[in-house]
Amino acid sequence: MDTPTAILANAAAALRESPFDDISYRTLGDAVGVSERTVYRHFPTRSHLLEGVAGWIESTEFPLPPFVTILQFQEASRARFLAFDSSPAFAFVCARAASISPTGESEATFFTRALVAMLATNHPSVNERDLRRVAAALRYFASAQFWARMRTGFDMSAPEISDVFDRTVVQVLSRLPTLSRTSR
Amino acid sequence: MSVTSERDDRSAENVNRTQEAILAAYAELIEELGTDDVSFRLIARRAGVGERTIFRNYATRVDLLLAAAAWIERRIFPRQDSPSIFDMPLTIRAAMESYDHRPELAHVVAETTMRGISGATPSPRRAMLEEIIDAEIPALGDAERRAIVAALAHLDSAATWVTFRREFGMTRSDIADAAAWAAEAVLDPIRSRVG
Repeated sequence: MDTPTAILANAAAALRESPFDDISYRTLGDAVGVSERTVYRHFPTRSHLLEGVAGWIESTEFPLPPFVTILQFQEASRARFLAFDSSPAFAFVCARAASISPTGESEATFFTRALVAMLATNHPSVNERDLRRVAAALRYFASAQFWARMRTGFDMSAPEISDVFDRTVVQVLSRLPTLSRTSR
Repeated sequence: MSVTSERDDRSAENVNRTQEAILAAYAELIEELGTDDVSFRLIARRAGVGERTIFRNYATRVDLLLAAAAWIERRIFPRQDSPSIFDMPLTIRAAMESYDHRPELAHVVAETTMRGISGATPSPRRAMLEEIIDAEIPALGDAERRAIVAALAHLDSAATWVTFRREFGMTRSDIADAAAWAAEAVLDPIRSRVG
């Protein structure tokens, strides 16, 4: 395991004990066996670290099952909400990282690209603009951010969060055909 | 439409003049430098107070950040009261445009609402949404009411603006349009049930 990956793995492990803001660069360096300066070289600011840790968590703890149909997408999202419920500290870090001002070039995540591809395949006649509106709404309601806000703001569990999610998916998709025909 | 929420006014009054100066200075510096580089010394100088005054009001950096996020949401991104739940798409459209004018501050508001119980309140307008929906569509079932309020509260947030911009590279008007459109979709099933 290379040094940056080791730092991220250690930071993720530390999240089981303490909140992200309490994890110091010095502790991370000690855990990995490098100097604090080395940690700073790889992660110049805490925003870089936050994004790095979130990326590590997404790939190790919350891998996204493949989906090619809307139903598979809904199933994958429900499974993720359940996974968020069982590792809330991890899920909140992912939600935070997705909300900060991006540290590098901002580009669409794999999840977003998979969603756009799925919609384009299943709704070939829909115009680009409507497709993006639908994709954006579905993406936002499938996100860790949605889970985080429903959990703290509405005290909802994963099944309740999935219920709101499913309703929104149905409503958003039901607007598609009318819109593409009349271009309202 | 032109009445600012009383609830917002009350919570804004909980901030005294010194705190107001500190939070305003911090918000300015965030826009100039980003959240990482702003030292307490710099905030103190800009606010015209001593560094110790900041610590007395906000013991930790996180306390200061959360207070600033709440202040930014109320002062920089205020909402108009909606007389009808069906005005929410317009409210959301306007909110998205205001977030796009102050991107750094929008990111601060979005991020602090994602911190779980130790963060800023993630749904500050929930009670307002529940009130207008109860007044307008009293017969709505509990589950449906909760789902609609939750979905609208979620769309009416800085995090919507962040996601649409980061993940889809949308322009200001595209974001406003897409968020308002999604809110219309959420409201469609209850349009015929007013009264």
